[in-house]
Amino acid sequence: MLAKLYWQFLKFGSFTFGGGWSIVAQMKELYVNQEKSLTDEELLDITSIGRSLPGTMIGNIAMFYGHRIAGFWGGVACVFGMITVPMIILLLITSFYTAFQSNLWVASAMRGVRTAVAPVILSALLGMIKSAFKVPPCFAVAAVMFALYFGFRVSCVWLVVIGAFLGLAICEYYERVKNINVVA
Amino acid sequence: MLLLELFWSFVKIGFTSFGGLSMIPLISSEMISHGWMTASEVSDIVAIAEMTPGPLGLNCATFAGMRAAGVIGAFVANMGALSPTFTLAALASVFFEHFRDNKRLGQIMTGVRPACVGMVAGVVIDLALVNYADSAGKIDVYSLILGAVDLVLLIKFKVSIPKVLLFSALVGIILYGVIGL
Repeated sequence: MLAKLYWQFLKFGSFTFGGGWSIVAQMKELYVNQEKSLTDEELLDITSIGRSLPGTMIGNIAMFYGHRIAGFWGGVACVFGMITVPMIILLLITSFYTAFQSNLWVASAMRGVRTAVAPVILSALLGMIKSAFKVPPCFAVAAVMFALYFGFRVSCVWLVVIGAFLGLAICEYYERVKNINVVA
Repeated sequence: MLLLELFWSFVKIGFTSFGGLSMIPLISSEMISHGWMTASEVSDIVAIAEMTPGPLGLNCATFAGMRAAGVIGAFVANMGALSPTFTLAALASVFFEHFRDNKRLGQIMTGVRPACVGMVAGVVIDLALVNYADSAGKIDVYSLILGAVDLVLLIKFKVSIPKVLLFSALVGIILYGVIGL
């Protein structure tokens, strides 16, 4: 059972590019459509909780699914399966990168690639805006955190903790004073 | 203890990241402050992680861990980044029903998501300041133009991220390798 889980997630892990959503799509195909061991709704639940817990979303999702099938070690098998291929590929790339970093052609290519990094992050940031700003005070939270990070170099750990408390405060305020449920 | 430091750094990164990009600000500050990567290398790893399979955070862990302490370092960094999965997510699996309708989790995320947007916006500027400058620290106009083209390709024409990165690599080879700017 553990070997089967490991192997299934090894295959999932080999085909995730960029975000983790392709793993969810592959899980849907195998577990919901073919094996019918999971319903659409269960997969949605797993995904949404995996997304709201800290850490890597698909690591959390792999843990949930494996735990469900074969307990804690089932979860561990899924997580290790998922990371095996990406880790090997990246170990190879890292050694290549380290060896050829100062080669003219590699350095020129990387200098070109670096120009795309800020635009890539920026475009992903635009995609986050809809889910991040549920109520107007969220804009203030983002602005203050930006200032604390960029202007005052406050550690990200603290910013996340402050954000969490502000989230609780904002939601409670909306619920009690304005009678609006922000979370739903 | 290098391995312990590496592990602890990625435990912090793991526990304060909520999906893909939100890891970048802390990865950047942890890597640069420990001297495990330069600001340019942080940009490189973001680009490499986008072009290879696997989640960004774990790819960064492999890259940083390997460079700091070899293959064992890569493994240790990955375990650190996955520590929330082996603890919190494992716990959440046991009490899954309880977590599913948890209102507090949603409330916390209402504040954490915009906080992440603010931090990520900050790190974009940090990286841009390095990536659009030449080795002397002056603005490199060509890279700025290329960056603007990349932004238009991504947002206006919805070109996929790996394609944009590949395009930029080719233009980089022509500009800095062939022409020798």
